[in-house]
Amino acid sequence: MAKNLSGDMQVASANRLSDGAVVFLDDFGQWTRRLDRAALARDKRTAEILLARARAEAASVVDPFLVAVTESGDGVLEPLSLREKIRASGLTFAAIAAEAVRYA
Amino acid sequence: MPDTHFYRYDDYDRALVGERVAQFRDQVRRRLAGELTEEQFKPLRLTNGLYLQLHAYMLRIAIPYGTLSSRQLRQLAAIARKYDRGYGHFTTRQNLQLHWIRLEDAPDAIAMLAEVDMHSIQTSGNCVRNTTADHFAGAAIDEIEDPRVWCEIVRQWSTLHPEFSFLPRKFKIAITGSPNDRAAVRVHDIGLRLWKNACDEVGFEVIVGGGLGRTPMIGKTIREFLPKDELLAYLEATLRVYNRYGRRDNLFKARIKILVHEIGAERMREEVEAEYAAMRDSALKLSPETVEAIARQFAPPVLRPRRTRVPEVEAMKLENRAFALWLKSNVAPHRVPGHAIVTASLKPAGAPPGDASSAQMEGVADIADAWSHGEIRVSHEQNLVLPHVAIESLPEVYRALEKLGFAEANVGKITDIIACPGLDYCALANARSIPVAQRISNHFAELARQHDIGDLKIKISGCINACGHHHVGHIGILGVDKNGVELYQLSLGGDVDFGKTALGTILGPAVESDKVVEAVEAMVATYLGARRPGERFVDTYRRIGAQPFKERVYGNS
Ligand code: SF4
Repeated sequence: MAKNLSGDMQVASANRLSDGAVVFLDDFGQWTRRLDRAALARDKRTAEILLARARAEAASVVDPFLVAVTESGDGVLEPLSLREKIRASGLTFAAIAAEAVRYA
Repeated sequence: MPDTHFYRYDDYDRALVGERVAQFRDQVRRRLAGELTEEQFKPLRLTNGLYLQLHAYMLRIAIPYGTLSSRQLRQLAAIARKYDRGYGHFTTRQNLQLHWIRLEDAPDAIAMLAEVDMHSIQTSGNCVRNTTADHFAGAAIDEIEDPRVWCEIVRQWSTLHPEFSFLPRKFKIAITGSPNDRAAVRVHDIGLRLWKNACDEVGFEVIVGGGLGRTPMIGKTIREFLPKDELLAYLEATLRVYNRYGRRDNLFKARIKILVHEIGAERMREEVEAEYAAMRDSALKLSPETVEAIARQFAPPVLRPRRTRVPEVEAMKLENRAFALWLKSNVAPHRVPGHAIVTASLKPAGAPPGDASSAQMEGVADIADAWSHGEIRVSHEQNLVLPHVAIESLPEVYRALEKLGFAEANVGKITDIIACPGLDYCALANARSIPVAQRISNHFAELARQHDIGDLKIKISGCINACGHHHVGHIGILGVDKNGVELYQLSLGGDVDFGKTALGTILGPAVESDKVVEAVEAMVATYLGARRPGERFVDTYRRIGAQPFKERVYGNS
């Protein structure tokens, strides 16, 4: 069950400068690939501080921004919007298996 | 000297591209070292065709006029394997997009492109983009003249043209040399159609102000017949008028189609002709020698007429139903007797449309070397084309394509779907395109049924930018976002066949993602129930109108 559907809960995200990969800011001010390690702001005020921290740590990333998330009963975070869900968990279909087809 | 602005492709372009690679390498180094901000760097990477999308950087590689040599295709495969995830996506603009490029690798990838005379310049920004052409150019039976010669002339003229590097918006030109337009010229900023007048002279019909996107428009003819040697002067005059009057205050109103719409085709014609009158005899007038020199680069392979009825082909047709269907849908007549144009379908059932792995690209390159004089084309319908195949080699080509998964007998059929990358990749998207295409493709996978349904073009875009050309699909599907839910707006009756270019009409309220297949099935059923002999889906629609389709899709309520 989602505890908070209002969209007040947010994490900071960006794309990594070196390869564009989606990253989230963790509690230690490091950028991580894992949404489950993201620092969570539970209200607007904390979210503003989180975004300011993300911007201060932006040397290795591109354009940090806030992503609205929900938290399930067992603490699993999930972005609210489909776009952010796809950013967090990747393509929603199997990309072609690059080497599966071999021309003999 | 009339042709001073012209240059040898080899020397000038290689030097230019080489310089750009070195420059970009330095810019990337400075960005990674923190010496450039993203704000400073973004326009520089975009100039080199490097976008930042949802999950990664994407490199957009121009394939001029959709023509590739086997060597070039192998190099694209090598780049995708070395610097990407081993596959690429062929787009409706005859480009190849690599969706997982690392920033630090981008200069090396671009350097590898330069080794085979390719680049990613002018695939972004408000400049003249890759000029596209009929993918059957130089081979089509109905062709009057090879449009690629003129694409190359346009390319040389427009590459980094100082006056047109900062247009109000991006600018797309397409050229066809056949009465059966396969290059969708009426939905480009400028479309050019080569045709022969009553005096047997070949010239261009100049069509201006077409385009899809937020405000779709069909281009208007502003010059019925333009002598060929006046092409560049006329294009320059048109772009000048656009540069002068095109709106720069509103991104959504900046394309030339809005200008033509606002001032009207007649006024546009007058403006262009006035500008043109002042410059028609300028240095831009093309000398026959210049045209000849470029035309020589497009000299077709020497093909001797061969047998047109080949017993092995006839026998295989009887034995192998899939091959017989493939001959019907994927093989087109060639202008040299005994030859054919083969389309390799990049739409096997359930696959993301237009994607090819490195191994598949290499496979196609091998087939081209063995049976198509080393030539490959990229179609705006996201397929690859082998333009010069002897009829007697068709069985071998079919089997080789089959091994690659590219022998699906579906070209022009309901599963030959055009789909943009959509929300799975694209930062501008509202909704996903590829999974929708996959579901439709799986649903209609049975080839016999596809052939019974006949020609039916489905085109899917993930947002109003219309990269998937949904406005001109017989069935168009546009992804929209409604309060965070993906919905799909359906349209009917779009077309890009020459003389019949039409924009689709929206059928009714947008449907949910899991209802799209059902809706398409309902439209197909309506057609099958109402069609007269020989009618394609779109013909039936034109005859009976939208209402029966509407009723079937939405019920009578
Ligand atoms: S149509 Fe929209 S979603 Fe699709 S590729 Fe173009 S910009 Fe992206």
